[in-house]
Amino acid sequence: MRIDWSIVGALLRRDLAAARRSKGVVIPMLVVPVVLLVLLPTGIGWYARTATAPPDLSAVLGRLPGSLARSIATMPPAAQIVQLVLGYLVAPLFLIVPMMISSALAADAFAGEKERRTLETLLHLPIDERDLFVEKVLFAWLPTVGASWICFALFSVSANVVAWPVLGHPFMPTWRWVGLITLVAPSVAALGLGVMVRVSARARSTQEANQLGGAVIMPLILATVGQSSALLILPSYWMPITAVVITGLGLILVRGGLRRFDRDTVAARM
Amino acid sequence: MTHAIIAHELTKSFGHGVVVDAVSMTVPQGSVLALLGHNGAGKTTTIRLLNGVLRPDAGHLSVLGLRPYEEGTALRRRTGVATENAGLDDRLTAFENLLTVARLRGIRGGAARRTAEDLLERFGLGPQRDLQCQGFSTGQRRRVALARALMHDPEVLFLDEPTSGLDPAGSRAVMELIGEITRNKGRTVVLCTHFLAEAGETADLMAVLHGGSLVCFGEPRRLAARRWPGIGVRIDLVTPSTNRREAAAIPDMLSALPGVLPVPETGPTSIELSVRDRSVVADVVRLLVDAGLGIGEVTTSTPGLEDVYFAVQRDLGVSDGLSGATGLSSRGAAVDGRSAPREAAAA
Repeated sequence: MRIDWSIVGALLRRDLAAARRSKGVVIPMLVVPVVLLVLLPTGIGWYARTATAPPDLSAVLGRLPGSLARSIATMPPAAQIVQLVLGYLVAPLFLIVPMMISSALAADAFAGEKERRTLETLLHLPIDERDLFVEKVLFAWLPTVGASWICFALFSVSANVVAWPVLGHPFMPTWRWVGLITLVAPSVAALGLGVMVRVSARARSTQEANQLGGAVIMPLILATVGQSSALLILPSYWMPITAVVITGLGLILVRGGLRRFDRDTVAARM
Repeated sequence: MTHAIIAHELTKSFGHGVVVDAVSMTVPQGSVLALLGHNGAGKTTTIRLLNGVLRPDAGHLSVLGLRPYEEGTALRRRTGVATENAGLDDRLTAFENLLTVARLRGIRGGAARRTAEDLLERFGLGPQRDLQCQGFSTGQRRRVALARALMHDPEVLFLDEPTSGLDPAGSRAVMELIGEITRNKGRTVVLCTHFLAEAGETADLMAVLHGGSLVCFGEPRRLAARRWPGIGVRIDLVTPSTNRREAAAIPDMLSALPGVLPVPETGPTSIELSVRDRSVVADVVRLLVDAGLGIGEVTTSTPGLEDVYFAVQRDLGVSDGLSGATGLSSRGAAVDGRSAPREAAAA
């Protein structure tokens, strides 16, 4: 059966309009990314630039791949720390935040409708289960990707403002960062919501969905933190490979959720 | 006659037990069915089954010629539902709530806007159209939900407690609307309600559910006629009989009169009895006057839906909303035209 995009579009318009007016959704969606993706990196970069005695980075550089370590080691101490912090070490945040936002929105997808007592209304409308499920996935995914891209644009501007006096030229965005944000971040968001939207369909409240999903999402977040900086260091072909693998996992989860999503089961849990 | 709803042995269970138990009924197109019963009787589950939201465990079901669960999307394009809880998105305005449903039902652009505006005006919500629903009263929410259910002029309308929370004028307007869409447009309405007087005014058919079983189904007038044959007559006396022997003889005198159905109930100030038809009332009055009794007022009454409902509840041993099930199965229900044993005994 084909997806009815007019139905998906109408539901998306409704959900986005409602979310825009909900402080409980908008504030975390604005505050968390701005703090973690703009203010925190910029603050660290600013501190690094203005530190009177820049720390000795030789131990850190010794752990990096040779070519990268050599290119940073040739820079002046202030430029080294700015390049290292803003260019590499804040990268995990750009993958954690999409996963957090998409998980939060996905947790609200069905459980929130139950809490607001609007799910029964939706089930009584001529909406196919597939269209409803796809819309809920998109509702969690699109704002997440939008927020990550906007925050990356803001980060690029602020990072350049901080780094320019030290480096003498703008250094953001690099091709690796663009790859990370446009390929990997959306795939990570898909992975997070792939888990949470399934949990949400079974939970009775958003809180329950978050509690149930947290057990799976937290290890995923930790795994992301551990590995994401490596994508800026490894050969560039790893970026699309990683994105494809993570997206594939997300799609498998979404597809499995869609297969199990059944009107009768959802209605019986209302 | 075309039937909008045909259910045969419809059954649905959840983990905690059977919620709808072998319910069978047919509802002709253009009629109003009052679905009655205590809380937890299975009314809302029945509506969910009829609109294809829940999958029946057993039985056959056809609504507008479609199988509700298997052809749910096609069916729901032709039905409208106002659920017990209004189910509005509080963060949207009244107008946006209607417009969203219009888009989901394939009504677009100017047509959607015009219909939404007209319905909001009709339900007295014109001034509130651009206000978010979160500040609305229960009655206002109910009216938005009703307007939303009518956006596409549905062929079958399921209304779950539509007048709950409405003021008397609002309730009257809803009942008039139900009458109008069934009379003028031939639409079918399934009405779940606790307000029996309202149901009695509009319902062509009544179905009483108890513990998931259908214990009574049919036209209220016919069901009542079978229980209480004839017309009820109450005679208030202004000069009660002071002679005990005369007073004691009145029931026998009345019973002997042709057309009086046994057995009259007499008290010191009033007499209640049933008569075959209205012409007998004059004979009764004449007999009482000849016996020296002064008559203040004579009123006649025809039992209806409300009387049948309470009689059924009495049969079931249910005196209030907290009473439990009796184990009577749907198969023992009184179906119009066919007296089931229990109903026949009650009659």
